[in-house]
Amino acid sequence: MTTTLALIALLDGISYASLLFLVAVGLTLIFGVLGVLNVAHGSLYAIGAYMAATLGGWLTAQGYNPWLTFPALMAAAILTGVVVGGLMERFLLRQIYEKDPTLQLLITFAVFMVLENVQRMVWGVQPYFMSEPLRALGNIELLGIRYTAYQIVFLPVMAILTMVGLRYFLRHTLAGAKIVAVTEDREAATSIGIDARKVYFVTFVIGACLAAMGGALATPTTSVLPGMGANMIVLSFAVAATAGLGNIEGALLAALLIGVARSFAVYIMPETEVLMPYLIMVLILLWRPMGLFGAVQARKI
Amino acid sequence: MLELQSVHVSISGISILRDISFRAGQSETIALVGHNGAGKTTTLRTIMGFTQTRGSVTFEGRDLIKVAPHDRPGLGIGYAPEDRRLFSGFTVEENILLPARIAGLSPSETAKRRDRAYSVLPELKTLAPRPAGSVSGGQGKMVALGRALMSATRLLLLDEPFQGLAPVLANTYAAALRRLHELAPEISVIITESNPELLERFANRVITMERGAIASDRIVQQGAAQTPA
Repeated sequence: MTTTLALIALLDGISYASLLFLVAVGLTLIFGVLGVLNVAHGSLYAIGAYMAATLGGWLTAQGYNPWLTFPALMAAAILTGVVVGGLMERFLLRQIYEKDPTLQLLITFAVFMVLENVQRMVWGVQPYFMSEPLRALGNIELLGIRYTAYQIVFLPVMAILTMVGLRYFLRHTLAGAKIVAVTEDREAATSIGIDARKVYFVTFVIGACLAAMGGALATPTTSVLPGMGANMIVLSFAVAATAGLGNIEGALLAALLIGVARSFAVYIMPETEVLMPYLIMVLILLWRPMGLFGAVQARKI
Repeated sequence: MLELQSVHVSISGISILRDISFRAGQSETIALVGHNGAGKTTTLRTIMGFTQTRGSVTFEGRDLIKVAPHDRPGLGIGYAPEDRRLFSGFTVEENILLPARIAGLSPSETAKRRDRAYSVLPELKTLAPRPAGSVSGGQGKMVALGRALMSATRLLLLDEPFQGLAPVLANTYAAALRRLHELAPEISVIITESNPELLERFANRVITMERGAIASDRIVQQGAAQTPA
């Protein structure tokens, strides 16, 4: 493997890891607070991508400035997270918080299957493209390699901003303090006046927005087509489990590890590309069963 | 002020509280005593809204069962659960101030309540900057009391505060409760305890529970015991 190829693999990995982190951190946040492993998280990623492609495509068709596709990506993510995520929490998850984790897993899996078909009904099976944001930002040269600024600057910056923002929100705002308190001890939090139900709702919607943002930001780099949610949910589970479920900072490192390893596999041994993320997860879990940064806790699943 | 009438609580089909009725008046300090499993903790959790309750619970004329559990601290009810249950992700002071932030109290009201908590428990001042996860069990009980005091303008519920406390700390805690009674006599206090002798020193009423029911209800003052009117 030449140095140039290694560098390209690294850049590919960083770009992919940024998207992976956004989805995985939403998943891990929801698990950390609500204790639910939400398989339907993958649907939010896919719907976010479809919404971004639809909204961005419409703006482009109307002849608007291509830079407007950036706010469109954000709008698609927030709309998807608030509407789809909000409805999901309000009418489904709220009914199953006290139930057996296996049942929760099965129900969110059922929601995932239903939403997969809803996507096919609404958007069909043909792929969607929306490359305006990619072209608007152009290319940059890094150590002699030309790479799209969208993938190697914009996406990593968004991932880091999300992590810093999330950390600040949880540590330094009242809403964040409520989330932290409910996560630690729901009853003690209620006894000092925190409405845990509202906290669950807000947390779920934030997590859903993060998944949808991963999907929306992925749109310019890939074709949006059926099945993309399934791929992403499995990978983001691997990231969240490698980091230790519920760990936000760890998710960034695990996403980077898995994203980069996967892209090196593509260049060195393409047949191991699909296997690589799970190989890393298995090795790390054999070494540290609670994940890289996980703390020992009662068994959930 | 607080009245429980024919309260029944079952958990997973097992009857935990059976026909509990008592009334707590203003400024009373009531000791709820009984063996483990007698239903003391469940009684406090029922007042806080953490159980499925049959019967009636009223607080200052309001039907408490219709008030959501998270709205009860806003009525002036403070609760220090068994096992402290502090938020280890915050410092001691953040733990104490959190109820005031959640209630949206004004800075002056927050300062007033915090100062009261610090006057009752001066040791909290030195503990304030420490991470709540790093304090000892006994210190944690003080912090939990301080946190409950931020909400408790009318009623304070303390669940087994003396359990596991070294004798020196138990004395400190008892002294803090006496100071509270001097500083804010309007607050009613309900304390649960397995060892009745510990509480008779400062409780003015002792309710004994046995197997989920009230076995006796006595007024204790300067050693004289009598049945409440």
